[in-house]
Amino acid sequence: MAIELILNGEPTQLDAPGSARLLDVLREHGHTVGVKEGCGEGECGACTVLIDDVPACSCLMFAGQANGHRVDTIESLSQGEPHPLMDAIVDAAGVQCGFCTPGIVLSAKSLLDNNPKPTREEVQVALSGNLCRCTGYHRIIDAVQSVAKNSQAKTRRP
Amino acid sequence: MTAKGKKKQATGKATKKVQKKVQKKTANTKKVTEKVTKPGKKIAVKTTEPKVVTKAATRPDFAVVGKSPRRLDGPGKTTGAATYVDDLRVADCLVGYILTSPCANARVKSIDVSKARAFPGVHAVVTAENFPGDNQVGVVKLDQPLVVSDRIRWYGDRIALIAAIDRPTALRAAALVELDVETLPSVHDPLEALADDAPRVHTEGNLAAKMVVRKGDFAEALKQADVVIERLYSTGHQEHAYLETNGILAELQPDGGMLLRGSMQCPFYVQKIVARVLQVPHSKVRAVQTTTGGGFGGKEDYPSEPAACAAILAKVTGRPVKVIYKRDEDIARSSKRHATKIKHILAAKKDGTLLGAKAEVYVDAGAYLGLSAIVAERANASAGGTYVVPHVEVDTYTVYTNNPFGGAFRGFGAPQVSFALESQMDLLAKELGRDPLELRLQNALHKGSLSPTNERLRDEPQATQTMEIARDRCGWDKRRKAVAVHNATDRYNKKGIGAASISYGCCLHAGGQHLEGSASLVQVHPDASVSVAIGGAEIGQGAYQVMALLAAESLGLPVENIRVLDTDTSLVPDSGPTVASRTTVMSGNAVLDATAQITQRMLAVAAKHLETDLKHISLRAGQVLIDGKKSKLSVAELIALCFTQKVNLTASGWYAPPRKQWDRETGTGQGYSVYCYATMVAEVTVDTVTGLVTVDKVTAVHDIGQAIFRAGVEGQIHGGVVQGLGYAIMENLVVQDGKILNPGFTDYLIPTSMDIPEIDIALIEEPYDRGPYGGKGIGEPSLIPVAPAIANAVANALDLRLYDLPLTPERVKMAWDARELAEN
Ligand code: FES
Ligand code: FES
Repeated sequence: MAIELILNGEPTQLDAPGSARLLDVLREHGHTVGVKEGCGEGECGACTVLIDDVPACSCLMFAGQANGHRVDTIESLSQGEPHPLMDAIVDAAGVQCGFCTPGIVLSAKSLLDNNPKPTREEVQVALSGNLCRCTGYHRIIDAVQSVAKNSQAKTRRP
Repeated sequence: MTAKGKKKQATGKATKKVQKKVQKKTANTKKVTEKVTKPGKKIAVKTTEPKVVTKAATRPDFAVVGKSPRRLDGPGKTTGAATYVDDLRVADCLVGYILTSPCANARVKSIDVSKARAFPGVHAVVTAENFPGDNQVGVVKLDQPLVVSDRIRWYGDRIALIAAIDRPTALRAAALVELDVETLPSVHDPLEALADDAPRVHTEGNLAAKMVVRKGDFAEALKQADVVIERLYSTGHQEHAYLETNGILAELQPDGGMLLRGSMQCPFYVQKIVARVLQVPHSKVRAVQTTTGGGFGGKEDYPSEPAACAAILAKVTGRPVKVIYKRDEDIARSSKRHATKIKHILAAKKDGTLLGAKAEVYVDAGAYLGLSAIVAERANASAGGTYVVPHVEVDTYTVYTNNPFGGAFRGFGAPQVSFALESQMDLLAKELGRDPLELRLQNALHKGSLSPTNERLRDEPQATQTMEIARDRCGWDKRRKAVAVHNATDRYNKKGIGAASISYGCCLHAGGQHLEGSASLVQVHPDASVSVAIGGAEIGQGAYQVMALLAAESLGLPVENIRVLDTDTSLVPDSGPTVASRTTVMSGNAVLDATAQITQRMLAVAAKHLETDLKHISLRAGQVLIDGKKSKLSVAELIALCFTQKVNLTASGWYAPPRKQWDRETGTGQGYSVYCYATMVAEVTVDTVTGLVTVDKVTAVHDIGQAIFRAGVEGQIHGGVVQGLGYAIMENLVVQDGKILNPGFTDYLIPTSMDIPEIDIALIEEPYDRGPYGGKGIGEPSLIPVAPAIANAVANALDLRLYDLPLTPERVKMAWDARELAEN
């Protein structure tokens, strides 16, 4: 079937069976390989995408479910000026093998969009669906909080 | 506690001059965050900057070494641009699928693949019968068929290899394979497997390897002992759970050779096994590591197997073949941390002096040897830990079973034995009415003492220092008292604090020293950019960043000028595996060997150009210096000058440590090149109603030589602590009759962002004279003490000892309730 969606801001038509996993369709047809498969059962968050700004596991979605929706992958955050989270997570040494990183950045972005001043605990909760086997999470959480702080500093300035 | 401005930080040794330096706070890392306590909710944790404790009067003044410049591979990984194997796109690529056994032990009567082969979209089905190459593999011993012919020994045994246009086609074809077997009785416990009448996994018997330590005379220790502690411990399998599953892409080359690109920790193993299976020379097999989503030992030897399968299918079909495992396949087929049974006996005098340690270690190898005997070697060498023990007697049995196979996993046999020994130390302290940390201090290895494997240690052991700093940093005495007071009144939330100490031999054991050499290739380009190739692999730990820092320091260039190439067997000779916390030392020294040759040539050109003597010239941070002061020449200009003068700025480097004297018969002598010491203190809360253990805080004190990439050291410790926490309390691989019942993240639980403790780190930086700028390893020492420290904290909390890892809520609850019942 022809799936019409706004992929990373671009109206896109993907030709794929509606019952295919959104994860596979994005990787194979959408050329957005920043979407990773870590478990295929909704546990690891490596396949996280934003559907109309809400994080979702693309491994648990049929491609057809994305029809008529906005889908943002990690690639959307690197177009033009990279999202401050990307710099922050590298600066904070929150990246090791990197396999979890795209999913984590998307989950964190969604958190900050909805809650610009999260507590450490709120960051932990927001990232609890994203497994990372390398970093022990602390530096990732630091990165999210540093972005929150910097953006507050920015908005406070006239 | 804030890191800055707090001067008072006792380091324990008042007599020694200990200079403390507080690491500079980077803009975005937090020292301390507020503790948020909400009833019924997990406490948000804080982290502190690592404290640096160094004994040198002045710390060496490095330009980049010891700092934390942002990782060069960070941006690519963050934007999704980094290319992992499944992101590679090549034309005409087929999907490789491996059909594995439906049973644990069986005689194969027939395998009929005719229907599968005829299925539309299938390009090849390979079985042992039509195997176009050498079907026998194994990293240490060739005891394993790549595809089985007449005998199945475990669930991971391969029945057929299928190449098809896509995965659904391959799966449908696999379902058409007709396998006729006669199942045989199987054996799943290493102790049972050693019985005379146990089913034999291999015809020659189930004892795959045996090793010992004989130091002194343990009977003598027993004779002199006032106290003897004897207990039986067990540890379960642990799954690596790297986030990227195994994957490999094989492409047939025009000359009949093979290019393999994939997720791996040792491209040289892949090269060797694929060359063997295809029966082509090594020169025709090139293995290139793609960006790898974690390894932890799990990608040391195992990737060779799917690689060989993919290579065979590529050879048969003439098309590229990609094998990517789904998570359940990965967990079901790849190696695990060995399950063990350990009987441990400690003998001591009334005053706490250790007299002897005796251990029987049973290592469950699984159906094939793999790396098991090598892992067992380290288990064997760890039974006396970091203590002075005059009489040591260890017997380590590596045993074949029909279980999932054990392999390399961060710590490599040491975590299991350390759990037993460190539990024993606490039991001994309890028996003697002593403080457990103080008892450890009393027995800690010190300058000039003989190690438990009878080695006169060349470098001063830092065991005492790590213990003292850990004790002082966590406020041990106060916390011990505080938890006792708390526990007296709270029935439901028991608090505990426990410690564990280790020493870890960095780099390969003497038994493997024939593999202990590592290479590099460094090429300086005319524009002052630099390509560095090493034999070690980047598996997330930051090895490439370490190499970049070392090369930058040595060449006097900014880190950004350095590019570390994907590890590739065609660039450097066999450098052994990326294991044993050896990459910083081995590959690092190899890089410095190459850069030293290059800088020597550059300095000669500079001296001539600046009309001064060679000895006045040095390179630092982009500048050529004369007697430490800036000259008119930059390093970039000097490099350009070298090129116009046709000076070769490419060099290959090599490092092999001095030979170690080791006696296999007694398991004694120089086991390792150098040791890393660590002590951890864990603080826990145990819910006695549910049995749930929450780890509140871990204080980690590590002796690391010199930190090269400081943020990487910290990252390894954070990751090691959290992975060790998983091993201690949650990661429970359920293996029933050889079958893994929870091959997925739904029911094999690893720590999430909600499970992490506060982590407080202190580093002892006492440069290792044979390390690159003084560096040693950190990857594994960061995990090993975690589980025993947590187990000791749980025992402290409940006044009840558990002897089996992991300490799942069920186990804790059952032990607690059993005692309550017995007492009432
Ligand atoms: S791959 Fe979707 S959650 Fe793991
Ligand atoms: S960095 Fe490796 S899984 Fe997160």
